[in-house]
Amino acid sequence: MDESTKRLLQRLMRRIPTQMLRTTLDKWGRLTGEQLQSMDFTQSKWALTEKLLAICEENELAVKHITELEMISHIVSSMFDYRFLDDAHSVELTQFKEQFKSHLRELIRHVSVKIKKHTDEAVWIRIAWGDTFSRPNHMKPTYVVHSLQTPYVFVTSLTSKQKPLLSQALVLSARYQAIKDANLSGRKLTAIRDLLMRQYHQVFPTRYPTPLAENNQTVSNQHIEREQAVPAANRLQAAYEAFGGGMLPQLQSAVYKLETKFRDHSNKTMTEREEPFRCVVKFASTNLLESLRHCASSGIASTPVTPLLSSIPLKGKNYFVITDNGPGPSSQMRQPQN
Amino acid sequence: MEKHHNSVTRTPLNSVVVQRRSKSKSYRLSYRSCLGAASRLGLTPALTARRLNTSRRAPKPHNITEKVDAEQLTLLVKTEWQLSYVTPLYQFRHTQLKSYSRQLSAFIAAEKQQGMAVEVEGPQKTFRVSFSLVQGLTESDDDAETVLVQIYSKPLFARQDEPQKPVWSGWLTCINGNPEYLGSLPKDFICLPLFGSSGAEGLTTLVKSWFQQSFDCCFGPLEISHTSLQWLMALWTNCHNEYSIQHLKMIWTLPAVPPLQVTYTVNSEDAWELWGSVRKGNRGGGGGGGGGEEAEEESSIDIEEVRRFMQGLQSHFYRHFRLDLSAGSLNQVSTALGSAKYSGRIKISNSRYMITTLTLLTECALLKMPI
Repeated sequence: MDESTKRLLQRLMRRIPTQMLRTTLDKWGRLTGEQLQSMDFTQSKWALTEKLLAICEENELAVKHITELEMISHIVSSMFDYRFLDDAHSVELTQFKEQFKSHLRELIRHVSVKIKKHTDEAVWIRIAWGDTFSRPNHMKPTYVVHSLQTPYVFVTSLTSKQKPLLSQALVLSARYQAIKDANLSGRKLTAIRDLLMRQYHQVFPTRYPTPLAENNQTVSNQHIEREQAVPAANRLQAAYEAFGGGMLPQLQSAVYKLETKFRDHSNKTMTEREEPFRCVVKFASTNLLESLRHCASSGIASTPVTPLLSSIPLKGKNYFVITDNGPGPSSQMRQPQN
Repeated sequence: MEKHHNSVTRTPLNSVVVQRRSKSKSYRLSYRSCLGAASRLGLTPALTARRLNTSRRAPKPHNITEKVDAEQLTLLVKTEWQLSYVTPLYQFRHTQLKSYSRQLSAFIAAEKQQGMAVEVEGPQKTFRVSFSLVQGLTESDDDAETVLVQIYSKPLFARQDEPQKPVWSGWLTCINGNPEYLGSLPKDFICLPLFGSSGAEGLTTLVKSWFQQSFDCCFGPLEISHTSLQWLMALWTNCHNEYSIQHLKMIWTLPAVPPLQVTYTVNSEDAWELWGSVRKGNRGGGGGGGGGEEAEEESSIDIEEVRRFMQGLQSHFYRHFRLDLSAGSLNQVSTALGSAKYSGRIKISNSRYMITTLTLLTECALLKMPI
């Protein structure tokens, strides 16, 4: 194995959590039964890596086998961008695989593509890019996740040069009309997918709202409790309607570019101004939707929740440009049809 | 100069008045934002006569590049400093700086070698300390000259002839300190209330211990309060027509579960216009309107104007998100002129407005001191 392959394997081993190591290697299937037995999983990661390197040398494994391991382990550390495929046709997997590989290879000579279908109907594509003179760079692969029957595509780590190539290959092989950027990105693939597929627990407005059960009841004053019971219940209901119930998909940030006029009755000069008041607001949190929901239920945000914030789960976006004519559709945006 | 001093005598009563705000539909203020500066600074009874100034001179660009040594200025400007306050130093003499360098150097060496066998030889000290005067920063005669302390050290595996690099820097300063207070100090005390440091925490602690031992003083952390951050926002924005601030960025933290961070960045032109619109008599600010430039009169900025500026920004935010920013806390303010954090970290990116910023910070330090 050459140096770069060794480095790739070392990096991969660093990222795979130890408890998942055995199952991942098992799934990979490139080690014989005895070899797998000979690996002592109580040792340190570093020792395990050395052992694995030795075994791979023994089996004469190459880069493409290592990349298989990477794909099985699902370890992707970069941000996923959601793209939207326009006018989807249903396409069969093997056909898609063949066509995608051949299209991409036509466009760029040195490229290494691996396609794998995972259990949850999603096709994972790993692309290592090279160019006319250099071999594919396996240290910075692009991952594409696509569910064949849906128009959703998730992409990571794509440079602006690679973008048109990938788009073209995808569009041709999946027989779509076009591919568009949608304004949603996040670190956890499952989170943004859930957000889009509305797979989180939705709460619908009820005619006779009853207070929802809260997880952590904080002990407080009896009098305040009594007085605040109804307003608190209303806030809670509104918060849950806007953002959803139960566990929410983990989004990290939302950015709003505001270009609206300044309107404040106490400030005549600014209100009379023609130009918009330009500012950019970024919300960030370890779990943004949880934070926003909590703001609404605790009163930091006034209810009913403003459509600007509730658009995040509703429209599945986290980048917005707001002008006075309503939330401005950016030229590439199109809502997924429900 | 006089105008500045007069404002001090006017301060006592006004600043802590809690304003009754009408319950307008569009804005709900939290209790905290109504309180004046005093509550944040934890004043002891002895100092209740003094408050953070409610009115300040508008910052003018000071061309201190002519007056201050270029190298020292570069150091001051390109670093982010952690602030502390210092109580007055007993028998600190600006003429003894060389001796202090040696003493501090020996002190650090001794501390580092505690518990180890001391090498009797050792001509090559691994580090050296230098105290120097930063002349040209102070304007008034009451202020003591700024002192800069630097610790140089050789990297671990350096050759013999490699020069030492500065690994720690710190300074003590007093810019436009309250003359009443300065005048009231006993004769042997020098007041340099503002201390800034940059470098390893361990060295900072050692330097502070040495000062405490040698001059019988006390150090304490200096936070930049909400009011001071608002002042900095306003003062920096006020400079926009002379030096572009490029953007006005505020970072708030809201107490949600998990905590929500809001970064609110305003376009510099728009911030400038908003600032102009809240000034009394509508001085300054861009846009059209009646004839030409006003005469360059002595303009002073009032705390009310600063509050209205902040209120405008908050209400614009509220109008869109219906989120009350005052329910959270303002952690950081930054523009092209510098950045200030609530935790007491300051970076002054441009020397032209350094004096104004240091004046405000000196005031904060003086107020926070327990004596």
